[in-house]
Amino acid sequence: MKVSIDWLTLLPVLAPALGALLVLLVDAALPKARLLHLGVTLAALGAGIGVAGWWAAFGGTAGTLCLDSSPGTCLYVAPASASILQIAALAAAAIVVLMLLGDGRDDEISGGPAVAAALVLAATAGATGVVAAQDLGTWLVTLELATLPMIALVALAGRRTSTHGALTLLVTSVLSFALLALGVALWMIATGSPVFATSGTGLSWESDAHLTVLIAAALVLMAGLGFKLSLVPFHAWTPVTYTSAAVPVTLALATISKIAALGALIPVVQTVASVAGAYAPGASVVAVDPRAGVVVAALAGLALVSMLLGNVAALRQIDPVRLLAWSAIGQAGWVVLPLVALDPSGSDAASGYLAAYVVATTVAFVVVHLVHGPVTVGAPERARELSHTGGLARNHLWLGGLLALALLSLAGLPPGVIGLVAKVAVLQPVIAAGLWPLAVVAVLGAVLGVAVYLRWVAILLGIGRSTQPLQRMPGSRLALTLAAAVLVVTSILPSLIFR
Amino acid sequence: MMLLAAVAVPIVVGLWLATAGRPLSRRAALDVALIAALAAAGLLAAALLTDSTLDLPWISRLGISLALGIDGISAPLLVLTAAIGVLVVVLARSHTPEGGSPATYLGAVLIATGGTLATFAARDAILFFLAFELVLIPVWVLIHRFGDRHDEAARRDAGLRFVLFTVTGSVLMLVGILALVTSTGTSSLDELVVAGADLPRGTQTLIAVLLVAGLAIKVPVFPLHTWLPAAHTTAPTGGSVILAAVLLKMGTYGLVRLPFASVPDGFARVAPTLAVLGVIGILWGGLICLVEVEAKRLIAYSSVAHMGFVVLGLASGTAVGVQAALIGNIAHGVISALLFVVIGGLKERWGAVRFDAPLPALREHAPHLGFVLILGLAAGLGLPGLAGFWGEVMAVYGAWSTHGRLFQACAALAALGAVLAAAYALRVARLLWVGEASAPVAPVADAETRGAERLVLVVLVAAIVAIGIAPHLVWSVTAVDVAAVVNR
Repeated sequence: MKVSIDWLTLLPVLAPALGALLVLLVDAALPKARLLHLGVTLAALGAGIGVAGWWAAFGGTAGTLCLDSSPGTCLYVAPASASILQIAALAAAAIVVLMLLGDGRDDEISGGPAVAAALVLAATAGATGVVAAQDLGTWLVTLELATLPMIALVALAGRRTSTHGALTLLVTSVLSFALLALGVALWMIATGSPVFATSGTGLSWESDAHLTVLIAAALVLMAGLGFKLSLVPFHAWTPVTYTSAAVPVTLALATISKIAALGALIPVVQTVASVAGAYAPGASVVAVDPRAGVVVAALAGLALVSMLLGNVAALRQIDPVRLLAWSAIGQAGWVVLPLVALDPSGSDAASGYLAAYVVATTVAFVVVHLVHGPVTVGAPERARELSHTGGLARNHLWLGGLLALALLSLAGLPPGVIGLVAKVAVLQPVIAAGLWPLAVVAVLGAVLGVAVYLRWVAILLGIGRSTQPLQRMPGSRLALTLAAAVLVVTSILPSLIFR
Repeated sequence: MMLLAAVAVPIVVGLWLATAGRPLSRRAALDVALIAALAAAGLLAAALLTDSTLDLPWISRLGISLALGIDGISAPLLVLTAAIGVLVVVLARSHTPEGGSPATYLGAVLIATGGTLATFAARDAILFFLAFELVLIPVWVLIHRFGDRHDEAARRDAGLRFVLFTVTGSVLMLVGILALVTSTGTSSLDELVVAGADLPRGTQTLIAVLLVAGLAIKVPVFPLHTWLPAAHTTAPTGGSVILAAVLLKMGTYGLVRLPFASVPDGFARVAPTLAVLGVIGILWGGLICLVEVEAKRLIAYSSVAHMGFVVLGLASGTAVGVQAALIGNIAHGVISALLFVVIGGLKERWGAVRFDAPLPALREHAPHLGFVLILGLAAGLGLPGLAGFWGEVMAVYGAWSTHGRLFQACAALAALGAVLAAAYALRVARLLWVGEASAPVAPVADAETRGAERLVLVVLVAAIVAIGIAPHLVWSVTAVDVAAVVNR
């Protein structure tokens, strides 16, 4: 079998992977050269962003690794929405690395700067890879590549709780992997092909029973990915692990891992859709094969329950990171909701919503990191409380103002326009598919979300306790500037994300 | 472009004031805000004269374009909004609420004004929704930060209640808008008028129910009004004025623009329910006003009653009824602004205006303010020759002229509600103006209005009299477009 390879197109995946190797090589030659590691990492991520950005802006659908034996079948396919997810993952990784390596201290994560950078780069390569992967093997490997380095990163925080958090994540990941492996096996039985149907092979059916197996495979895969997306009822690890990791690592979990999980979910849902015939123009989801309806019902259930439960739990949180963890669960519900439409516009809406969430949540996490400062390995932990950000918008105008903007984006209220546009984008395919009752339930989720984030915004605007003096953290400050610039620009021009 | 500038100037200047401009002194902030508000009003006037429109693609993926324009239905509301924006900024000269820097307060006022202008100028259904949401946070800040200093818990509760109710309404409305947009394939309000009417009746009804339910919270229609009294009682005077005079109009304007104009058959099926709820609102609001002891709360309930007339006129579906709704909107905007300036100013000077406590007689201690109060009350009860008359009479006439039993019963009950309005207006006049509350007391502080507040009141009085004597000022503008919507 001959495969044609366009190396340049693959750069969003290859650059971080090669960057990880390069960082480790540099570390062997020049140990402790933190700024050099930072430079290499940012250069690798920048190269990936450049290529993915070119494809998103001008190129349309990027495709390579095409099989000569069956024309039209490519194993790497990234439409514009996937390119935007890749950019989001690469940019989030850059922010994470800036926070970990740029603050001029090695002691937040044990193991040295090279290890941290290499782990982040490896996870990023996994995420950008799975977003475009079209064959089951690459899909499974890259998905795990996006997960495993995260466990190490959580454990390296070296705090008492971080071991617990890493163990929780490890157990969850193993369980998730088992489900995914089972799902892939069922998928192979059903389709007899190691390639997703979206890449153009189409599926030929030997018997009707194969479709039933395919639906079962899709459900198992959705459960496995539910862990990674922190959808209820697969969410229990999220608050534990988020709060026990170092904040930059938590940010990586909330962004890079989520992108990998959604990127993995989309081809599964699209294959089911193409089999069920929902791609026919004008076809309503309600009219498709009842077995595909099971997938729709499962997606809708996961989405709405996550949305409601995540936000209700977030209402009661005191630790800002724990609040953001529960809010991540609620937001994951919004990410998955448009997929119920079983059509490409639903997948695009999910990608766009996730990209908007990544931008806003990055700003929120960076501000939390700046306010509370890094926690040194082995040092006693200070409790984080929302009240520590009391009056932040008065005392530190930009810090508090940007956090408020990020929270309003998450809530979907102007001036956080990007968050509001994302909610419109999510509801549109759902309603177009005739599933407006789901949209009416989602209204409740939106209102609960507003209550969650507005509670924090009120604390930011309030009198509150004076915050502890901010530490000098040049890397995190630069990260905040970059992330905030993206948040503001996309709020004015949402079409940068919703292309 | 002129219209875009009229919308953008207050928003941009407001954002700047609320962030980077916050350290500005009170005087400097007042000057900047006044210039911005006047610039917005001037640009709007220029846009009206040149018939400025705009249509730029914005988020093509979602079919959202930056489409702005003015027609007869939106023009009076745009003028009202720009004028109220200027008046509220001027009002801040005599009293800036505590709770934060003056620049933040003025910034919130400007953003709310700009957001409302954008709502009325939007010619794209989804853009209309985005602009609708833009107003929420600044008004929440006005209530939460700058509201009544005496009761922090009430402030927090009122602010949150306002936001949560309104978000519920607006997201429901969004579901309705998206259902409308996806089933017709266009989000342009002008095209929806044609495309929406061709939808099957069941779809139209579903869309109308979603849209009306969402917008009814903003209007507010009984029984979804419970956020309004709390918000009004705690909001600072300027916030109350914006809330009553401008924000509630977004609800009724939305009802005309979306369900009434776009899905006429669906709206016709919802209309009887809406009419009945409107009449319940008239009676309920009137009855509460007979016993309510907190003055700002009383004005808030009278707003519920007045919006009941507007909703009744709209639900009748006749040209007269819709005209009544539009002029009722404007009249209520001016009258409630006047009453909130009077009562809010007194509350700021006295600390509280309650009818169960000894009150000084305004006719003795503040004859000018007393006169304005009486004029406002008279306009509110619908005295001929003042602004409130036309909206109420024509709403009742419009409902009666449908010849439907239900609507005629509603018309009769609404007329009864007008009697209630007279009763509670006289109650307020007796207690506050004559001073019959209890043994006469001397005011704790000076009662008379002066300075910027007096200027604001003079303008509002002039507007009430002008609309009362010459209602065709509004009608001549709205008539053509209303006829176009009703008679198709």
